[in-house]
This record gives sequence, C-alpha cells and structure tokens, in this order.
Amino acid sequence: MSNLANGIEGVHGAAAAASADVRDRTDAALVRADRVEQLYSQLPLGLAATVAIGVIAAIELHEGRPIELVVLWAGLLGLAVVLHGLLYFGYRNDAHRTQHTAQWLRWLGIGAFAAGAVWGFAAAVFFPSHADERQVFLAFLLAGVISGGIPMYAASWPVFAAYAAAIALPFTYVLATLGNRLFAEIALLIPLFYGVSVAIAYRLNGVLISGYRLRHAHQRQLVELERARRQIEASGRDVTAQLEAEQMKKEFTSTLSHELRTPLTSIIGSLQLINAGVLGDVPKDVMELTEVAERNSQRLLDIINDILDIEKIESGKLTLNPEVFRLDDLVREAVALNKGFGERFKVRFEAKGALTKHEVRADHKRLLQVMTNLLSNAAKFSPEGEVVEITAEEHGPWLRVAVHDRGPGIPEAFRARIFGRFNQADSTTSRQKGGAGLGLAICKRLIEMMRGRIGFQDREGGGTTFWFELPTHA
Amino acid sequence: MPERTLERICYVEDDEDIQRIVRMSLERVGKMKVEVVSDPNLAIAAIARFKPDLVMLDWMMPGMDGPTLFRKMKQQPETATLPVVFITAKATQRDMEELVALGAAGTISKPFSPKDLPDQLRAIWAKLP
Repeated sequence: MSNLANGIEGVHGAAAAASADVRDRTDAALVRADRVEQLYSQLPLGLAATVAIGVIAAIELHEGRPIELVVLWAGLLGLAVVLHGLLYFGYRNDAHRTQHTAQWLRWLGIGAFAAGAVWGFAAAVFFPSHADERQVFLAFLLAGVISGGIPMYAASWPVFAAYAAAIALPFTYVLATLGNRLFAEIALLIPLFYGVSVAIAYRLNGVLISGYRLRHAHQRQLVELERARRQIEASGRDVTAQLEAEQMKKEFTSTLSHELRTPLTSIIGSLQLINAGVLGDVPKDVMELTEVAERNSQRLLDIINDILDIEKIESGKLTLNPEVFRLDDLVREAVALNKGFGERFKVRFEAKGALTKHEVRADHKRLLQVMTNLLSNAAKFSPEGEVVEITAEEHGPWLRVAVHDRGPGIPEAFRARIFGRFNQADSTTSRQKGGAGLGLAICKRLIEMMRGRIGFQDREGGGTTFWFELPTHA
Repeated sequence: MPERTLERICYVEDDEDIQRIVRMSLERVGKMKVEVVSDPNLAIAAIARFKPDLVMLDWMMPGMDGPTLFRKMKQQPETATLPVVFITAKATQRDMEELVALGAAGTISKPFSPKDLPDQLRAIWAKLP
C-alpha cells in the first residue's frame, strides 16, 4: 500500500511535495477536532459519575460537619455539573465546532480545573479531623476521581494535569500541614502519584493522537487509492479502446488494400495490353487517354503499396532479407531502374564522383525501394532539364548515399514532420506530383530497420540533399 | 532446363477479367496455348485432359484455394510432376517460400504486368531441371 501511495505521490510529483506541508497542517487540525470530540463525547458519562459520587460523598461526609458546609460543597459540585452540561450542549449545538476546537478545548480545560477544584475543596474542608474511616473513604474517593480523570481527559493531557492538580494541591497542602508524620509522608507521595498519572495521561494522549493521525492518513490513502484506481481504470479503458481501434484500422487497411489490388490488376493489365500494341494499332487520341489511364492506375497502385508497406512495418509484419552487396552496384541499378521516371519529368539522374566500392549488409529489394523513393522525389521537384546527382561515399564507419536535387527546398514549417505519415509540404503537391505522402515515412522506417539513418540538408546553390547511411559491412 | 520450349499453359482462376487478361497476354504476347479453368474442383480433370507444360494457380479462390489444389495435384499421377506457378495478391514472403519448399516452381505477385508475364513464366521454366 505504501508503495502504491508512493507511486501516486510520484504521479503528482512536485505538486504533492509542495502540498504535503499544507496537508500535515490540515491533519493536525483534524486530529485536534477528533480529540475535542472525544473529550466532549465522554462528558455525559463523567457528569453522571460525578453526580453519583457526589451524592454518596455528601451523605457520607455530612456527619460531624456543618450542614451548611456540605450544602455549599454539594451546591458547588452541582453548579459545576450544570455548567458542564451547558458547555456540553453549547458544544453540541455549535455547527462549526470542528473549526472552533481551540476555544472548546480551552473551555473544557477551565471546566475540568473547576471540577477538580470542587473535589480539592472537599479534600481541604472534609479531610482534617474526620474520623479515621471517613478519612480513608475520602482518600479513596479522591484517588478515584483523580484516576477516573485519566481516561476522561486522555485526549488532552494538559486538561487532565489541570484537573488533577486542582484536586491534589489542596489535598497535599492539608496533609502536609496536619502535623501528623504519616500524613506528611502521604503528602510527599501525592505529587509522585500526580506525576505518574500525568505521565500516563501524556502517553495515552500520544497514543490517541497517533491513532487519529493514522485514521486520517488511512482515509486520505483510501481516497487517493480510489482516485488512482479510477485513473488507472479510465486510462486502461482508453488504451484498450485505442488498441482496438488501431487493430480495426490496420485490418481494414490491409483488407481494403488487397481488395483494391485485384481489380487494379485487371485495369492495369488491360491498359498495358492496349498500350503495348498487343491488339494492333489504336487511334492516337484513344492511345493518349489509355496511357493517362494506365499511368494513373499505376499511381493508385503505388499508393496502395505504400499503405500496405507502412501497415506491415508498423505492425511488425515486415521481415527483411539481408544480403551483402556493393553499394555502387545498387546505386547504378536504381539509376537505371528510374531512368524512365526521370525522363517523364525531363530530369536526368547522374552518379557523381567515384562511388564507394564498399559493401553493405541490407535488404537489397527494400534498399532499392528507398533509392527509388528518393530519386522519384528528386525528379518530381526538380525544374525541367536539371540533373539530379547521386553520390555514394564513406562517412566514418558509415556509407552514405546522397541524392542532390535543384528543387525549391524544404519549407521551414515542414522540416520537422517530413518523415511522418501522409505528409506533404503542400496538399496541392499530391495532386500535381502524385503520391500519398508515405514515401519518406517508409524510407525512414526501412533504413532504421537496416540499422541506418536518414536525413536531409539544404544544398549549396539551392535545392536539397537527401541522404541515408548504412554501416559498412566489415 | 527442359528441352522443349514453354507452349501449353493451364490457368486456374475464378476472376473472369483476370482470366481474359492472362489469356490475351499469354496467347498474343507469349504465343502460347492457354486453357483456363474457373472451377478449382474441375481443375485436375481439365489439367489431365489438356496436358499442359506448366500450371498457373490463383491463390485465393472460392471452394478451394490454390495451395489445397496444389497438394491434391501432387497426389494424382497425371498431375503430380507438373511445374506449378502461383499468382497471388495476398501471400506473404513466408507463404511463398513455403510453397516453393513444397515443390512450387515459382510465384508471381499480383498485380503482374501482362506485357512481361510470358517472359516471367519462361524465366521460371528455364530454371526447371
């Protein structure tokens, strides 16, 4: 439980540390309210006991004593009981008593001292020159009311100390001054008993306080635990719902993509057969349109393939087939493969400088896909008649392949999310240049799966350089 | 490499449009003789009758999928030794490798280019023992 509570503290962090001090103070106020409540709730029992003891004492003590004195004492005791009763009802009727704890504790302290003083009065007035057995009775009675005060006032040891002092002081004084050696010795013992009683009350007080403190801490932890449980439940629900939605989306994407590929096979196949002249000569106008149709069907297929690829990569279903090959061979293969695409945009691909002859260990087909992506991007964004340069060189322990274009450059706002999904600098770009904005996202993931890295930088003299690096195969 | 050139192809495929394209591709571009079978349950009888050099199977068909038909062919003496090429849109790399391990001659993924399909088949044919 404390670990969990610590965890919750951790969640709330600095705010919890700052509020801990405030909470300790809040706790102290709550604990005091509890103590005062306990003191007052025991009051009726204490008053009933006082009345009972008082009646017996009055009957027993009046013999051999002036009746007026007994009546006065009984009257004082009665007054103390009545005032305590009023105090009790006052406390019970205070709607804000938990906020006025200091005040109610003070009044109870005064009441306890007064009650003690009434007993002390009895000790001072009735003890001397009574018959022996009545002295024993009174001593027993006083000891009883003092010890009875311990549980009564345990919730506040100073209240008990005041109460017991009001009884013990007059009694000690009387015993000490009676001139009897035995009584003088008892007089010496009473402060000792007093001290022990107060010490016991003090300890009890401490136990009660820690008990109340524990209760509040426990309640607080229960509340926090409940809150944490709800949070966990809520976040758990969120996560589950999110995972389900993700899963559904992925299955949908996968199924849809496959379902789209089958009709596309027929469309592209038909158009290819027509455009390849398999069916003989076709009017020029018709051929123009069927070529537009084939090109765009191919574009659609590329997008579907990209979506399938990214779905496969993100669901961890894509496995690479690593093999060792020379990077310059791959660059030349990629250039040859994309020559036609470059021609469409009137852009030439050219390897520049000596290509590194070092080898890499990577998935050949997938690396070719990355190259195709970078080359086709460069072609799409280069002005007509430009040359896109490709370099492949050593870069420390890495082999770096770079594609340099003379395009418009990457807009500042787009730089941070260029390798994200469905991202293109400008939504009009996708209509003009084709593609779903998944190409670079796929490149980044593929290169990272091959333990490499990918990036771009502005090119001197205008344009952009996209590069990727793979570890040199030793 | 087989001594004779690749001439007779039997293609089991339920999609009529793709049947038409493949037939046109193989007949017109590849100058081959093609027998198309729409129902995989009738395929073995049709293959035994037509006696092709090579059989092309679609992966996903209603009633019986390509791999099941392939296994059935392996159990029939008339069809057991025929080279089989799978055409599929959905198979994973591993599915393909598994089929090749089972004895498939090769795989072609959809969408294929009808311009290049005859050459692709001839390349597979050339690699056969």
